[in-house]
Amino acid sequence: MSRIAVSLTVNGEAARVEVEPREHLADLLRGTLLLTGTHIGCEHGVCGACTVEIDGVPARSCITHAGSCDGATVRTIEGFDDDEVMAALREAFSQEHALQCGYCTPGMLVTARDIVLRLPDADEARVREELAGNLCRCTGYRGIVRAVLHVLAARR
Amino acid sequence: MTVEQRGFGVGASLRRKEDARFLHGRGRFVGDITRPGMLEVAFLRSPIAHARLLGVTKPQGAEKRVFTLADLPGIGTIRANSALPGFRVSEQPALAKDRLRHVGEAIAACVAGSRAAAEDLAAACVLDYEALPAVHDMLQAPLPDQPLIHDHWTMNAFLETRRNDDVSGLDAVAAAKVTRTLRTSRQCMAPLEGRGVLAEWDPRLEQMIVTTSTQMPHVTKTGLADCLGLDEGQVRIVSPDVGGGFGYKGILLPEEIVCASLAIRLGRPVRWLEDRFEHLSASANCREHHYVITAWADKAGKLLGVECEATVDAGAYSSYPFGACLEAAQVGSILPGPYVLPLLRCHTISACTNKPPILPYRGVARTGVCYAMETTLDALARKLDITAEAIRLANLVPPDAMPYRNLVGKVFDSGDYPEALRRAVAAFDLDAIRARQAAGEAVGFGLATFCEQGAHGTSVYHAWGIPFVPGFEQAQARLSPDGVLELRVGVHSHGQGMETTLAQVANEILGVHPDKVRVVHGDTALTPYSTGTWGSRAMVMAGGAVAEACRQLAGRVAAIGAALMQVSVAEVEVADGKVRRRDSDVFVTIADVARTWYRAPQNLPPGVDKGGLEITAGYRPDPDTGTHSYACHAAVARVDVRTGAVVLEDYVIVEDGGKLVNPMIVDGQVMGGLAQGIGTALYEEMPYDRDGQPLAATLADYLLPGTTDVPDVRLEHMETLSPWTTFGQKGIGESGAIGPPGAIVNAINDALARLGAEVFDLPASPSRVLAAIHAAKGGVR
Repeated sequence: MSRIAVSLTVNGEAARVEVEPREHLADLLRGTLLLTGTHIGCEHGVCGACTVEIDGVPARSCITHAGSCDGATVRTIEGFDDDEVMAALREAFSQEHALQCGYCTPGMLVTARDIVLRLPDADEARVREELAGNLCRCTGYRGIVRAVLHVLAARR
Repeated sequence: MTVEQRGFGVGASLRRKEDARFLHGRGRFVGDITRPGMLEVAFLRSPIAHARLLGVTKPQGAEKRVFTLADLPGIGTIRANSALPGFRVSEQPALAKDRLRHVGEAIAACVAGSRAAAEDLAAACVLDYEALPAVHDMLQAPLPDQPLIHDHWTMNAFLETRRNDDVSGLDAVAAAKVTRTLRTSRQCMAPLEGRGVLAEWDPRLEQMIVTTSTQMPHVTKTGLADCLGLDEGQVRIVSPDVGGGFGYKGILLPEEIVCASLAIRLGRPVRWLEDRFEHLSASANCREHHYVITAWADKAGKLLGVECEATVDAGAYSSYPFGACLEAAQVGSILPGPYVLPLLRCHTISACTNKPPILPYRGVARTGVCYAMETTLDALARKLDITAEAIRLANLVPPDAMPYRNLVGKVFDSGDYPEALRRAVAAFDLDAIRARQAAGEAVGFGLATFCEQGAHGTSVYHAWGIPFVPGFEQAQARLSPDGVLELRVGVHSHGQGMETTLAQVANEILGVHPDKVRVVHGDTALTPYSTGTWGSRAMVMAGGAVAEACRQLAGRVAAIGAALMQVSVAEVEVADGKVRRRDSDVFVTIADVARTWYRAPQNLPPGVDKGGLEITAGYRPDPDTGTHSYACHAAVARVDVRTGAVVLEDYVIVEDGGKLVNPMIVDGQVMGGLAQGIGTALYEEMPYDRDGQPLAATLADYLLPGTTDVPDVRLEHMETLSPWTTFGQKGIGESGAIGPPGAIVNAINDALARLGAEVFDLPASPSRVLAAIHAAKGGVR
C-alpha cells in the first residue's frame, strides 16, 4: 500500500512519519509516536475520548486522517505540562471527583481547556452543552461540570 | 454534597491516589501496551444470526495466518453450568465449529502485524454457510414450533423457575387489582474502553501471561486454564487500568482463549482489541426483560399478592462464570423489593435466542424488576386513588422489623426504608407540581424505592451451583523495610478508586498515612485468590479483609515496638503510624519496627513471631447473606406532548449505604449509576430485526446519556450501619442504576395521567411516549 509522508509538530517536537492513507491520527499518535494518553473509544467520532488539539482547536483524532496532518501542530494530553489552565483543570478534576476509570479523562480535559479559554463567561448550561461531545460512562458528569465551572470562576 | 475531609481513615472524602496518572494521560490500559514482535488479531465474525457453518476459504497465500477452530485443536468450550434444576447446558466454542448462533460470533482469528492488515485478511476470507431461521423473539423462542438453537435441547430455554403461592383467592378480597405488560430494552454496557487481550507465552516459566481488561482476574485465570488444558500455575492474568466495566468485564471471553492459544502456537505475543462495532454488535448484550405482572392490594394500598410471568432474552450461550440465568432466575427473589409481600406467584424463563449471550450489567436483574414493581405500584395507586407515597409507605418494611426476613428468604440487615421515602418526598414542592398539572402542564412526579443486596456470599451462591462460589475474601498486608505498607487484594478496581479506599481502611486501623500505602491489585501472581469486583462486594469483602489483615499486623508491630521500648505489649497501642506507650508520649514508628525486622533483626525480642510483618487474612461477614443498601429515587419529568421528548427537571436520591468509607467516591458511584439508569429509562436500546440483525452499530445509533441528559441531582445520605460488616459499610456500587427507570417512567405516567396515557416499555423514547399518547386518544398503540 502506498504511504504518505507527513511532517507535523507534536507536543512541540517535529515528527516526520510515513502513514497509510487509511491511518487515523489517533493510531499515529498512539502507535508510531507512543503517546498513549490519547484514548480510542469509538473510532467514529462520537465519544470524544480521542480529542486532541490540532492547530489550537480541539478535534477528534479518530476521524482525522493522519495523512491530512502535514504541517499541523498537534497537542495531546502529554503536551500540557506547562499549561496553567490545564494544571488548574487537573486540580479541579481531582477535587470534584470528575474521573473514575480515567479513560475519557484526557479527551475531556482537552475539551474543557478549550471551554475555559474560549468561553470565560460560560454558565452551567453552556458548559454542559459544550461538553456534550465527550461521553463519560462512569461519573454522571456532575464532577466534570463542577470542575470546569470551578476553573472558570477562579479565573474571573 | 459536602466534600469534607475527616482525617484519612474510614469516612474521609479523601481525594483519589490514582487520579494523577489518569489526569496526565499516564494510565495504562491494555491498548497502551505493546510487546516486541507482537501480532494483532482481527476476527472473522458471523454476519448472520443462525446458520450451519459449512466452511471458511482462507485468502490465498495467507492460509497460515487465518485460524479456525480446526487449526487450534485441544481448546475447550466455555461451559457455565448451573445447579438449578432443569438447567440446559450450552457449549460455547471459542471459535464457531459447525453452527453460527448469533451475529458477531467469532469464526476465525486473522493474524497480522497490524490490526488494519488483520482486518484485511478477515475481509478476504470467504464464508460458506446455510442460513437457518433466526430465533429473534424471546416470547416466541420457547414455543414448540421454533427451530432449536441447541439441537439436543427440547426447547429454547436455559431454565424455567416457578414459585407457586396460591393467589386464586385474591380477586375476591382485593380492593384493587392491576395487570401490566412491560418490557425493558436489550442494552449494551458500553464502558468507554472495550475489552482487550494481550497474550504471551513465557517459555522459561512455561506460563501463559494474559494482560486483559477484566474485573475478575482470578476467575478468568481459572476459566482460561480449564479451556486451555493448563494447570492454574501456568496462567497469570494481569489486569492493568480498566476503562470501566459495569459487569461486562466480569466474564471469560472466547477471544481470551483464542489469543492465548495463538500465542502458544505462534510463539509470539498476540493482541486483540475490541472495537466499538464489535462491542455493540457481537458481544456486550444485557438486560431485555418482559413482564406480565399482576398485583392485588387492599383499599389502603397494602399489597396482598403479586403474580408475575417474566421472560429474559438470554441470547445464545451461557457465559462464564455467571451463566445465562443471572437475570431471569433472580426475578422471583428480587420482586418483593423493600416491601412486605405476603404472596408471590412467579414463573420465569431464561429464553435462548440467536443473539449474543446476556452478560451482567450494573444492577443485574434488579433494574428491570424494580421497574416492573414500581410502575405496577403506581398503577395500583392510581386505581385506588391514593398517592405514590402512600402506597409505598403502606408496604415498606418498617425499621422496627429489622433484621427482616422476607417471603423468599432474603434477610435485610438494617435501615429505615420509610424514612428514605419521606425525606425524598419532602425535598419537593408537590403542591407546585399539582398546580402546574391543574393548569394543563404535562409535568409529573415519580418515585422508586428499592433495596440492593450486595456482597452476598457462600450461603447464597452455593445454591446456584455456578462455576464459582465466593468464600472468604483474603487480603495481604505487609510492611516493606522502609515502612511502606503494601496491601495485596484479588479484587480489581475499574474506576471505583480502591487504591484510595483500601488505603483509608488501613489508615483507620494502623494510622499509616495513605501516601505510604500501596495497593497492589490486578495481577494473579501478586495477589490472593478472589472472585473479583462484582456484585457490589469490594468494599465489604476486600475492605473487611484489609481491616482484618491490618489488625493482625498491628499485633505483630505492637510486639516488636513494645520490645524496642522495653515495655510489655499490654502497655502499648498502635495508632497514627506509631507504636505508642499508653502512659506517655514515648513511641517508635511503624517504620522503625519495619527497619528492625528486616535490617536490624539483632534487636528483635526473643520469641518474636517468625511470620514477620506479612499477614494474609481472610474475611467473610457472618451472616454472609449480603448487605442491603436501599434508596428512594424521586424524579420530576416534563413531557412535550407534541414531540414525546422528556426533560428531567429535578431528581433526588436519598440513599443508605451504611458507613460510607469515602463519601465522595460513594457519591460518584451513585451519580454514575444514575446516568446509566437514565440511559436505561430514556435512551439506550439495541434493537434486533426479524433476522436477528443488531440495528445499532455505532454510538450515533446506540445513545449514551451525555452532559445535557443528566441533571444535577440532589443526593442525600442516611448512614444506618450494617450490623454484619467491619465498619457497618454496605455494598452500594450498583444502586444508582437500579431506581431511575421506575422513578422516571412513573413521573412520565404521572404527567400523562390526565390524558389517560401510560408508557409501558423502555426506553421511554419520544416515539414510545407519542405512541402512548396516541393510544390513549383511541389510536393504535
